[in-house]
Amino acid sequence: MTAPAAPMARTETILPGRSNRPPAVRRRRRPTVYGTLSKVLIALIVVVQVYPLAWLFLTSLRNEHDFASGDPFALPSSVTLDNYFRAFETGNLGLNILNSFIVTMGANILIVLLGMMAAYALQVLGFRFSKFVRSLFLIGIIVPVQIALVPLFIDYSSVNLLDTYQSMIIPLAGFSLPMSVYLFSSFFEYIPRETYEAASIDGAGPYRIFGLITLPLSVNTVVTVVLVNSIFIWNDFIFANTFVLSEDLKTIPLGLQNYIGAMGKVDWTATFAAVCVTITPLLLVFLLLNKAMIQGLESGATKG
Amino acid sequence: MLPNRSRLSVLIFLLPPLLLYGAAVLFPIMQSLFLSFFSWNGISDMEFVGLQNYVHMLTGDAVFWRAFLNALGYLAICLVLQLGGALFVASLLTSLRRGAELIKTLYLLPAVISTVAIAFLFVRIYSIDPVGLLNQVLNWVGLGNLERPWLSDVNTVLAAVSAPEGWRFTGLYMLIIYAALLAVPQELEEAARLDGASRWQIFTKIRFPYIKPVWITTTIMATTYGLRGFDIPYLMTNGGPGQSSELLTTYMYKTAFTSTDFGYASTMSVFIVIECLVAVGLIILMLKRKADA
Repeated sequence: MTAPAAPMARTETILPGRSNRPPAVRRRRRPTVYGTLSKVLIALIVVVQVYPLAWLFLTSLRNEHDFASGDPFALPSSVTLDNYFRAFETGNLGLNILNSFIVTMGANILIVLLGMMAAYALQVLGFRFSKFVRSLFLIGIIVPVQIALVPLFIDYSSVNLLDTYQSMIIPLAGFSLPMSVYLFSSFFEYIPRETYEAASIDGAGPYRIFGLITLPLSVNTVVTVVLVNSIFIWNDFIFANTFVLSEDLKTIPLGLQNYIGAMGKVDWTATFAAVCVTITPLLLVFLLLNKAMIQGLESGATKG
Repeated sequence: MLPNRSRLSVLIFLLPPLLLYGAAVLFPIMQSLFLSFFSWNGISDMEFVGLQNYVHMLTGDAVFWRAFLNALGYLAICLVLQLGGALFVASLLTSLRRGAELIKTLYLLPAVISTVAIAFLFVRIYSIDPVGLLNQVLNWVGLGNLERPWLSDVNTVLAAVSAPEGWRFTGLYMLIIYAALLAVPQELEEAARLDGASRWQIFTKIRFPYIKPVWITTTIMATTYGLRGFDIPYLMTNGGPGQSSELLTTYMYKTAFTSTDFGYASTMSVFIVIECLVAVGLIILMLKRKADA
């Protein structure tokens, strides 16, 4: 906060002498000092945010010798795709991506469908203890996910759910459900009462109203909920790491760990190639849909 | 309320979500509370020990307190980077006429990358042989004597494992705060400016009070996320060297799944939940009161 203080103080001292000038002139003058400074700062911060990722990509194209010696900021002396071949040989990248996809889809279906149903019961149907149920859902937002690890591990082993897709999907969906319920119920508030009343008079029951009115109107909110949750579910490490043991079920975050070889020796350039491959799907979705995603993240916070 | 609803229809819509939520969230919380009064390694019989786990945790376990203080340090670094950074960048962005959309997207990029990838990335950034990005930058700006293996130095390791978490999510909070800042009515600022208010005054007297509700929400979000931080320290150092980057969450995890002391691990997770509730209560209390004053 200290950096912009200097130009601020300066504009303040200039102000009184020029207070008789038309505001337009003042407004044009002020950005020249403050504006340039803030542009430089913004550029600098963006570099800090983005450069490590660019570096990750550049490193994945380096050959090992180039990586081990030399300046990390230098451009690769020669571009090679070897690392990518080695990355695919070492691990099960394809399988990992497929598993992540299955878990993300499974959890998202549950989150959207159940979130919508709960919100419908809370917001549209209404019942006596709805306040209490709402506050139950609040618990899931505040409480850290780690509390569920030990109990779920014990429960899973007693019902033979350890090492399955469900063992990841259930807690991921459960802990994301509250946010989804809140997002859907704040959207349902905007659907005019009259719509429901008209449908009721025409004889539609609560199920038909849900299927024919509420569901089709909520498409935008569904997109928001799916996008926001996908980031967290796709990247989940802790549930997968606790409940999944077999190679066949490993999701991307677990698969990446395979690249730390025996005795801690790491083939870094191949690892970085693997990282690049695994972040690509979500990154592409993010870059294509960034408007929707950004809007979703904003509304997720302000309404949640 | 719909006129044609029946009690049955409410149940049909409400039960499935509550079942999942109960099984995945509510029931495990109760179970943790229950287990915290037992001594159990998962194989032998459970043994009721009353408050013994709690007494041991609070009075007899130096590692626990070390981890608790580390977790507070981790939280402080995350909050400064995430909220401070977010507010700073969001304020800068409001003065920008074009390109704000692009910068928002770029700034948010780290948030879509998995913690495992981030841990790998930062291990290399902090590395000393071959020289990583951080040490190289220090060399360039003439601070070469600060060069060190950041992750094996006990004095820097906590900061080194906290920074990536801060870096990762600062874009998310920036988005939220930026959206709130854009909603501040232009006329208010314009009027203040005509009255000769400085940028700093406009910020403290108009903008910040106006975005206060959003600020409270983001502070709560950042704090609860900070207190549950686990992935990056666990992956980068696993709490080491020694206990110098051990957090409550990593200690709890190791107690549960390396030492298989389920009872004691549950005691710690109960503590983490209480800690989160207290933190949220404190934030609401402090920020609300300041708003009233």
